[in-house]
Amino acid sequence: MSWLPSQEEPLVRTVAVSRIYRRGVDEIRALDRVSLAIPPGRFVAFMGPSGSGKSTLMNLLAGLDRPSEGEVWVAGQRLDTLDEEELAAWRARHVGLIFQFFNLIPVLNARDNVALPLLLTHLDKRERLRRAEIALRIVGLEDRASHYPRTLSGGEQQRVAIARALVTDPDLIVADEPTGDLDARNAEAILALLRRLRADFGKTIIMVTHDPRALRFVDMAFHLDKGTLLEGEEATRAHEAILVAAGGGMTGGSLHELPESRVRELDAE
Amino acid sequence: MNYPSLVYANLMRNKLRTVLTFGAVSLAVMLVVFLLTMPAGLDALLNSIASNTRVSVHNKAGIVYSLPYAYVRKVRLVGGVAAAVGTTWFGGAYEEDGRVTFPNFAVEAEHVGAVYPDYGIAPQHLDDFRRYRDGALVGRQTMKRYGWKIGDRITLKSTVWAVNLDLRIVGEIPLERSPVVWIQRDYLDEALVAQRGHGLGIVHVIWVRLEDPNRVEEVMRTIDDLFRNSEAETASETEKSFFGNFFASLKGFITVVLLVTVLVAACVVVIAANTASMSIRERGREIAVLKALGFPRRVVFATLLAESALLCTSAGIVGVALAYVFTHGLRSFAAVIPSLGPLGSFLVTPGVAAQGLLLAVVVGVFSGLVPAWGAARKPVAEAFHELF
Repeated sequence: MSWLPSQEEPLVRTVAVSRIYRRGVDEIRALDRVSLAIPPGRFVAFMGPSGSGKSTLMNLLAGLDRPSEGEVWVAGQRLDTLDEEELAAWRARHVGLIFQFFNLIPVLNARDNVALPLLLTHLDKRERLRRAEIALRIVGLEDRASHYPRTLSGGEQQRVAIARALVTDPDLIVADEPTGDLDARNAEAILALLRRLRADFGKTIIMVTHDPRALRFVDMAFHLDKGTLLEGEEATRAHEAILVAAGGGMTGGSLHELPESRVRELDAE
Repeated sequence: MNYPSLVYANLMRNKLRTVLTFGAVSLAVMLVVFLLTMPAGLDALLNSIASNTRVSVHNKAGIVYSLPYAYVRKVRLVGGVAAAVGTTWFGGAYEEDGRVTFPNFAVEAEHVGAVYPDYGIAPQHLDDFRRYRDGALVGRQTMKRYGWKIGDRITLKSTVWAVNLDLRIVGEIPLERSPVVWIQRDYLDEALVAQRGHGLGIVHVIWVRLEDPNRVEEVMRTIDDLFRNSEAETASETEKSFFGNFFASLKGFITVVLLVTVLVAACVVVIAANTASMSIRERGREIAVLKALGFPRRVVFATLLAESALLCTSAGIVGVALAYVFTHGLRSFAAVIPSLGPLGSFLVTPGVAAQGLLLAVVVGVFSGLVPAWGAARKPVAEAFHELF
């Protein structure tokens, strides 16, 4: 199964990627020959039920895991041939990660949490802190820089996590259910913030989500089920089911990519 | 923020646990350092009390067996012998319960000064000791212990000879930690003649001062050859060796204590390892996130290991400092409390301090090694699978 764009050089590309887990004599095919391409500067959602393989796919694209078969290319780098340490070095330079449960370091304040990935650079301490404060300003938390995670709300913690993902100026930001632990108001604010990062900084953002509201904010949505990427009728049905679940007030446009008019509309918002 | 502040912040996340572990390691290092001072302390004590020109001559069967008194005169005639004095264990008890609380010997008053010139006994005191048959020279430690003064009269009840001797303190043996009391051999001899009809007739140890420290072995051999195949063969040994034999049992005890100390250190490693393991296990999610952010294994491993190394090393510094204060305190107390005895000789030397610190570093590294390596080597995908 594949969906490959023809117009633009993709930032993210997979070729017949499979991920097989072995438990004893059993083989679990979490991802089955998935091929896709994502152009740069897009805000993309991976959607699907639990166990569909969307998080597995996200892990492969973020360089957190390696496929059992197939190729993974991100920003011109083939990832499936890199070892654990090479992948770590690649992630530090090219990927920003956002998690469902924020996963901030509780003993560090917001500024130090954001500056954490910069420890892996050659920047001096002053420059690291300056960049962390800029990232906090982007997410609107410059006045919370000295606060520790336990004193921040869930929405604020997730914004600190977004600042942390942004601070190294990565090619790709990967978010795993970033709204999963937030109330509706904070969830929308986070989605809007991610959308703004795409619009203002041209970031490519891949998000795994169950949240149907996400469709209002993303440029592209991929639907997965049982480890495969849905296409054609199946994908359309899955897409429409989510739109219906979201209340029918949305115009989802193209399955994999929203029309440019909708993109401009969202950017204007 | 930098790596040291990250390590420190992680160390301080559970202050109570950190403080307790710090305390355990500090006390263990203090104990180990204190025990490590013992062998060197005993050696120093031995060197301070033993002369390199003085040898003891005693019965080959052991010092509890006597030698004929006539041997003393024969020893004085051996070439290379400057002076010799026969000493006999009196075993006098001063206290009511009959315990012998300080060593006391009957000696020949006219010879004792020549054998112990290094003791610094005042000539006047030696003269008085010779002049008064009931005179006694008393070590400074025993003088302090009982608050005696020169001129005081005391009674010692012998636990060996069934006589009581009324004594007059005529002088002091001015060695800081000397407990010994010398009484006149002639006085004991007279008392025994009066009590049982015949005198002492024996000595337990003949102390000999030699003219030349380079001829010690030769003269000792000559003395022992002199009495070979006699009714009481002799065994000569240097003063250091003689006192060393007294300390030998103590050294055996110290060996046992050092073995226990090693076990204590091993226990502390296990305790610290458990603490490090708990701390790291609780942070599985954070460690996985660090790896996801791109922190390589070696950096994760180093920061985790640095936590236990920093904790134990700083605790080790405090432990060494505590041992230093403790031994100096003992030294001060030993000057006024004689019963502390050789404890006052134990001092934390730079070498011992270095060994204590090395132990702390080893505890830190070993306790953190396994949990830090376990956490660092786990692939990030596996950690995510388990935790998210």
